[in-house]
Order: sequence, then structure tokens, then C-alpha cells
Amino acid sequence: MKILSLLPIFGSGVTALLISVLPAGAQTTRPQDDPAYLKKAALKIDQHIASFYKKQGLSVPEVTDDATFLRRAFLVSIGRIPSAEEALAFLEIEDPDKREQLISYLLASPGYSSHMTNWAFDLLRVRDRVEGKPIDFEPYRNWVRTAIDNDMPWNEMTHQLLASAGDGWDPETAAVGYYTADRGMPLDNVANSMRVFLGSRMECAQCHDDPFGNQTERLDFYELAAFTNGQEPLRRDYMQELYDELNKGKEYATRKFSIAQLMYNKVYGLSLGGGGTGNIHLPEDYQYRGAMPGELVGARTPFGRQVRVSEKRPRDDARKMLAEWVTAKTGDQFSVVIANRMWRRVMGKGIYEPVDSYIPTEDSHYPELVTLVSNLMVEMGYDLRAFQHVLLLTRTFQFATNPNPSVVAGGDDFHGRKIERLSAEQIWDSLITLSDGDPDRKPRRGFDDRIKIDGKPVLVGQKTMTQLSKEVLALKSKKEVTEYYNHLVSLIEEGNPGDGNAGGNAMMSMMSGGELYDKDAMVRASELPSPAPPDHFLSTFGQSNREIVDADTREPNIGQVLSLMNGFVQDKLVNNPNAHLYQSLKDAKTDQDKIRRLYITILSRPPSQEEMGWMMDEVKTRGENGYHNIVAALVMSSEFLFLQ
Amino acid sequence: MNPFNRADELTRRQFMSNAARTYLGVHLFPMLGGSIASAAPAKEIAAKARAKHVIYLYMDGGMSHVDTFDPKPKNKAIMGKTEAIPTNVDGIMVGHYLPNTAKVMDKLCVINSMNSTQGAHEQGSYVMHTSYNLLNTIQHPSLGAWVQRLGGPLHPDLPPFVAINTAGKRVGGGFFGAKFAAAPVGDPNQGLKDSKLAKEVGQDDFSRRLALADKMNRQFHNRYPNADVKAYEELYRDAINLMNSKDLKAFDLSQESEQTRKLYGSGRFAQGCLLARRLVQNDVRFVEVALGGWDTHYDNFAGVEGRCKEFDQAYAALITDLAACGKLQDTLVVVATEFGRTPELNAEHNNGRDHHPAAFSCVLAGGGVKGGMTHGLTDAGANKVKEGLVSVQDLNTTIGYALGLPYDLVLYSPSKRPFKMAGADKNQGKPVTELFS
Repeated sequence: MKILSLLPIFGSGVTALLISVLPAGAQTTRPQDDPAYLKKAALKIDQHIASFYKKQGLSVPEVTDDATFLRRAFLVSIGRIPSAEEALAFLEIEDPDKREQLISYLLASPGYSSHMTNWAFDLLRVRDRVEGKPIDFEPYRNWVRTAIDNDMPWNEMTHQLLASAGDGWDPETAAVGYYTADRGMPLDNVANSMRVFLGSRMECAQCHDDPFGNQTERLDFYELAAFTNGQEPLRRDYMQELYDELNKGKEYATRKFSIAQLMYNKVYGLSLGGGGTGNIHLPEDYQYRGAMPGELVGARTPFGRQVRVSEKRPRDDARKMLAEWVTAKTGDQFSVVIANRMWRRVMGKGIYEPVDSYIPTEDSHYPELVTLVSNLMVEMGYDLRAFQHVLLLTRTFQFATNPNPSVVAGGDDFHGRKIERLSAEQIWDSLITLSDGDPDRKPRRGFDDRIKIDGKPVLVGQKTMTQLSKEVLALKSKKEVTEYYNHLVSLIEEGNPGDGNAGGNAMMSMMSGGELYDKDAMVRASELPSPAPPDHFLSTFGQSNREIVDADTREPNIGQVLSLMNGFVQDKLVNNPNAHLYQSLKDAKTDQDKIRRLYITILSRPPSQEEMGWMMDEVKTRGENGYHNIVAALVMSSEFLFLQ
Repeated sequence: MNPFNRADELTRRQFMSNAARTYLGVHLFPMLGGSIASAAPAKEIAAKARAKHVIYLYMDGGMSHVDTFDPKPKNKAIMGKTEAIPTNVDGIMVGHYLPNTAKVMDKLCVINSMNSTQGAHEQGSYVMHTSYNLLNTIQHPSLGAWVQRLGGPLHPDLPPFVAINTAGKRVGGGFFGAKFAAAPVGDPNQGLKDSKLAKEVGQDDFSRRLALADKMNRQFHNRYPNADVKAYEELYRDAINLMNSKDLKAFDLSQESEQTRKLYGSGRFAQGCLLARRLVQNDVRFVEVALGGWDTHYDNFAGVEGRCKEFDQAYAALITDLAACGKLQDTLVVVATEFGRTPELNAEHNNGRDHHPAAFSCVLAGGGVKGGMTHGLTDAGANKVKEGLVSVQDLNTTIGYALGLPYDLVLYSPSKRPFKMAGADKNQGKPVTELFS
């Protein structure tokens, strides 16, 4: 592979990619490790699209210009606009392979996993806290983030989530957060699993049969839910009596009670006991065909290769059976759904839409294309980074923008890129790139496993939540639990008599390195609290509340416009002389240079002659203020807010 | 010659609206026109209508009807820890978590016979907010957008539809477009964020920015005529009118006395209720305030107690306060939720209650609605509606009726599909007229 050695960002990027796609210790070569394989796969996709055009008698759309490609490639693959340096490096070099090299550079950037993390958090509803649950979901968040960081294959990730059991703080088993975040609502959890992983919408069957009689019935739904049944905390029974006593007694609302809550809620409450029984009682109001209200039924899968459990012989691994069924026994459904989700992410529109309602391949508009991408997904071992790499290398990805709607209902007709407002996270990540420089150079959010009592860290440097959880969950009787509790109380009280200030500056003592970032930090959206609070910029621009699958919205509202004109954007960027953007103007010699630099930095393109005229007038009339006015105007422009 | 060179001669107000007129959006026709005030409702509806405003309090997650507005004191098995307490109206009881609400029952009309066909959160709250089932092919406008579209704004500058502490997806303009979406308020204490000029920016520079941005946008627009791109340009114009409004202080809770603020309580919902009162006093049409956390699958009683603590104080304060300032007459206050909770308790989930769309409760007050009454009945187990069933579409139509809006007027989406505030033909709502005095 030719490397643009003049440009360190390109050279190092390509090298880093080659390293990053090889998981530690893996000796076998995978097809995607060969760049020629990726290109060939991209070509095959393009050939399919070309034959579609031929059949329809349509001409193939133009390929877009470099500047549009640059911005699109950055926003789609790493979720932010390029810095001025990155933009110039790409625009000013003449090399026929530079688009390919840019894609390699981007996929090797830490920005890739940051941007994918937002996707995963929206899809899996990853929140730091869940309303009504006094539990910290930090370890689960960290598990998902780490899985994305390490390119855990999607089938493995799905399997680990669905089959999870055990200690919520142990990094090996922290995927249990997928279930414990939904504890008490196992039916919603199953409905979401089917939607997320298999593109099957079953939430209606939670309450009633399909009135049209051709889809899932309520009994099917319960039989599916039976696989995941039995989601009590691990061994919390041993603590129940002690906890109830403290809850009623005079210790209630004291620091000692907080320590009991730490064990009861944050340790036991996050854990998941058992591996799924495989049977379930129908609800008392059940009144449909085939079963009686309250009847005990065994688990049974509704389609694909059937897996079932007898209601009379409950098991302890039914969640694993479900995980295996979802990932390996549903025909092409599992691979098609994830391939189409990735297609939508890269191309802006799914091969069929909506992406979470699976269409049997033979019924879709482009069965051959669906089969091709589904096979590709399988062949590359569900490596989402490599799969997106292929898509980003296609000519289809490079098609010029076309604002006209697709002629194919419920899918793409590949007539060009649609115009779409950036996601809340893309806008945020782009703005902080302008105000604070390349955000991918900052350390990622660390894993906060400090023990906290009433919000304050204790036993810092002595014990972590991970250790505490391991010890607590190993206790084997009521007596042991009581002894441990008393021991923990004295340990904490000795270490931190009074108000627990000893843990004050705890950032230094975090186990796993990294930083803690609060809601005001100028870092990637993926590193901020999840979701950001309701008055945060991200929320105003439509970030998902992560209570519902993919609840993000790009709908405009007046709050967004106010924020651009007067609020956050003004404070942090436009009127902030220390913003990175203005710092980067220092070495520019002339006014024209500066204007050009601002255009490149904000819109990733040089100004047209006409625009240069407008902006020069501005600077002549308003001097230094003129630059602020230009920045404000460019950031407020639709060109900044929309992906072309 | 730039008209802004004469800026000093103009008052701030004239100046700003000039900026809007000259540069932003006015050269574009609004996507679907403004309100359709010409579409007059049937005379008998309009004549009876007393309400001008709606305050829509949304209990997000599914409020348990058994533990709040539909207790069954004789049926101990389903009541669990909840006790029924008397109210200031003979014969009407509420759960013991609502002592303050009990004292304003004479002003409330409790509908105990709500029924929905949607039992999952997303679908349930969608139909409550739009009268239509969730589809993947179209976004339906939410209630506030319908009210704005059918009734028009009452105030020239303030946003007609404001949503406090609410998920953005619930309060969108749908196919009406962004102009009809709610102006979002995250934290009521901060009011409408960023509605004042940044302090470093003079008026001259501000309008120069708008002028430059407008030049950029025209360019972009010519290249890509797109509804969302247009929407942003219109929003800039609305935002400038708003910034300039003399009534912007409607959003400022610090203008309220400490005593009043305490009356409502301190949470986001509570202060949101107070803000809602200020907004309707300033001619905002529709205010939605959400209170989350009602999804009490696990330990229902602790959950309901926690939610009711904030709700009860704030709701009773709002009703009392509106009545005292004379606004209860023309403000319809709605308490709504996507479904109720199962009367039977789920012991495995520490006495949790699951989703129950078959029967639940909503409450109306003000805006011409009779007080001190209940409508409809559930059976002894609070399981099914026995009398006076009110569908989700019926409730929404009743809101339209209270406002005197043509709720059955057909409007077309840009894709030429017909829609009504009352919902689709086959389950079109009918107003429950007997609730009105």
C-alpha cells in the first residue's frame, strides 16, 4: 500500500490500522486483514448497484468532489468534522489513492470507537442510571464501550449480552447490566432484544395477539420470554433479613444503612443469578388460544431452527440457548439485520427501511445485494469495523448529494446521498473540535470503580467496587453476610471518620486510568454522562434518552437555533478568543489567508470567490469583530448542520 | 447600502424585527402555511368552548390507576399497601399518596374509564400524543402541534407550544414541520435557554451575523431544496421575534415569590407546573410538563409514593393557583399517561405492577369542565372498563372540543395522506360532552 509519507497523519494512520485489526494473540489471518480483499468486496457491491441502474435504464450518479467526500467520510466514520490540518492534508495532496488512504486513517482513529459507542448506547439503551433503581451502571457502560473499542465481533457481543449471568462489577460478566437495567420488566427486555438483534417487532404481543393473525401471538411471546426467566440477584437472599431489619430499625437513613444499601443495591442489585429457567407462568389475564391463564409454559422459539425447553424440566442455561438461537439458528436474519444497520449508518439509508423490521430477503427490493452484504458480514466474522471499511470504499458511498426522495418506498434506490441533519453527537463532537482542538487526543473516560457512600468515595486506594463485589458475592450464608457487613462498616468508619473527605481527589487513584468527565466537560459525547442531562446541548439537539431503542431525533426546534445564536456555541466558540479555532489563525499572514483558514476549519472547503468577497467586506467594515461574525455565520449555516 | 448602518436610530424592537424581515425566512413561504384560522369549527362547538389554553401533564411510564385515582377500598387483595382516602367531594376517593389533590377534587373531573389498545411505552405514549398508532412511514404531529395548527397562536412572539422536561420525540411537529414542534425547556429554573443576546455581542454585529448566515443559507438552499433545511431558516425568524418579545419574562421563574415557588415544590416537574401557569398567563397555547418514573414493575408502592410526592403537591398547587388568578376558567389542565398498571401484584418483583392498557385513569380540570365528578367505571377488580369507555382518541377529541377546534377537519400530509386531530376514521374519537358544564 502506498503511503503519503509527506503527511504523518496519513502514514501513521495506515500503520495503526494494520495493527489494530489484529486482535492480540490472534495468529490466523482473517480475510479482512488483506487490503485487496476489502477493495474487491467493495467492487462487488458497486457491481450490484451498477447492474441495478442498467436494469432500470438509469445513469449512475456522479462521484462527489473531494471536499464533500472529506467531510462526509469524517462525519460518517468518526462522527466529527476534520481539523484544519486534516482537511488541508487531504485536499492539497494529489494522489489517486487518497480517498482509500483517508478511510484507513479514519478507521484507525480512536474517533471510530467513540462514534460507534454512541450508536451502541442508543441501540442497547446504555444509561449511567435508570429511573427508580439506586444502582450504578458504570460497569455495564464500560463493558459496552470496551467491547466496541476492541472490535468484539457482533455475534459474540450479542451472545455475551443475551447469555449473561453473574457479577455485575466483574469486567468479564458486566454484560449482565443488559438484563439488570430492565429488572422487573423482563417482557420489555425480550421485546427489545428481538427488535435490536433480529429486527422482529414483538412489543404488541406483550399484551395481545396480532389482530390480523399473521404475526407473533401472545403465547409465542411468553414462550420466548421463558428463556430469560429467573433474573433475581445472585444470592441476595442471604442479606434480605439483615437489610429488612436495618430498613425498619433505628439505623435507617444513617451512614451504616448507606453501607448496607451499597451491598444490597449496588452489589447484589447489579448481579444476575442463574442462567435462565426456560419456563414461565402466563399472566392471570391471559385469554387467548392454546393455553390457560396462569399456566406454566416451557420456552420455545417462534421461528428459525426450533429450540425448546420442557416446562417440567427447568434448566439453568436457557439464556445461553436463546443467545445461540438468535446468533446462529435464525437463518440469515441475524446477519442481514446487522448488515443493514451498518449499511444505513454508512450510506445514510438502509437497503430496506426501517432497519429494525426485518424483511425476508426474497421479499426485499434487492435480494442479491442483501445476500451479498449478509454473506460478507459472516465471512468477516461480524467485524463491524471491517464491514464499514468495505462500505466506505465503495463508489456508492461516494455518490454526489441528491436531495430528491428515493423512488423505492421503504428503501434506498441508490440515486445519491440524501441530505440529512447531523446527529446531536456529530454536531457536538464537531463543535468541540473547533473550540478545543482534536478531541481524540484526550484520554477516554476511565472506569470509575471507587466505592462511594452517600456520593463520596471511601477506602480509596484500599478497595474497589470490583473487589468488594467479588467478596460480597462469594459469601455463603446469612452469618457470613452479617459478619462481612459489620467488618465493612468498621473498615469504612475507621478509614473515613466523619464526612468521608479522604476520598476528595480521587481521580488520581482510579484503577483503570482514564479520566472522569462530568456533564460540562469539553470531550466527545461518548465520554459524557449517558444520556446528557435535559438542559445539555446534546439533549436540545435530539440525543436519545436511551430509555427506548434509538430514541434520538433530528427534528429541528427553536431551542437549537437559540443555542447556536446566543448560547453555548457563542460562549465556547464564537466569542471565546481562546478557542482553538482562533489560535490556529495566528500564523495566517493576510486577511484572505485567515478567511480561507476559517472556511477550511469549519466547512472543510475553501471559500468561493463570491464568498471571499462577502467576508472581506465584513473584515474591512468590522475589523477583529468581523472574524467573530464570520465564524458565527458559518456555524449557524445549514451547510454546517447538514451532511451532504 | 446596508440598512443596519441606520441601526442606532431604531429602537431595539423595530431593529430586530427588521433583521428578521430583511434576512431570514420571510422570502420563503412557510411550508404549510400558518394556522388555519379560517377553518372555523362548527358553530355549536365554538360557542360552547371556554378553554383557550391547555396544560398537559404527562405521567411518563404508565401511572397506576389503582393507587391514585381509581382505588378499590373493598378489594384489599389488589390495593396492597395503598389506602383510599376521602376527598372534599362526597363519594370520591383517591389513594393516600394524594392528600393535597384530595382537597381540590371539587375542581377535578376524573375519567376512570380510559382504554388504550397499546401496551408498550413507545407505542402507548405515541398514540396518547398523536391519536394515531406508531408507524414507520410517517411522523404524526403531537397534540400541541395540532392545537397550534388548528387554533393558531395567541401571542405574536412567544412560542405557542412549550414542552418542559419532555422527551423531544413526543412533542414534535410531525409532518406539519418544525414550526409546530414544541420549544423545549429542560430545566424550568433556567427558562428558555439562550433567549437573550450573548453579552459580548452588540446588536449591529448580531444582525451582521444573521445577514452573512442568510447569504450562506440561500446558496445552500438553492443547491438542496429540502424541508429540514427550510425549517431551520424559519426557526431563525421565530427565534428573533422571541428574543425581542417584551413578554420573554414569562419564562423567568425568578419573578415569582419564594412563597409561590415553595407552594409547588422543588422538583423539575413541580417548578415546570409553575412555569406552565406563567406561560398560559402570557398567552402560550399549549404547555406540556412531563413527570417520569411511573413504570413501577418493581416495588410498585415505593415507586408510586415517590412519584406522587412531587405530583401531588405540584398539581394541587397548580389547580389552586390557576383558580386564584382566574385562569382556570379558560385553561384545560389534563393529567394523562400511556396506560395504567395491573391490579394484581407481581410478588416476584417485590409487589410490582405491570402494564395495563385495558383500564386506566386520566383527569381533566378547568376550561369549562365540571368539577367534583368522575366519569366511567371499572369493575370491582379495576381490571376492565364497565361503563362509559373513553378511548385515547376520545380524550384527545375532548381536548379539541374544549378549545372549540375543528377536531374532525381533515388535513393532508405532504405525502397527501389525510389526518385528523380526532384520529383515523375507524377509531375516530368523539368528545365526551357530558363533562362540560
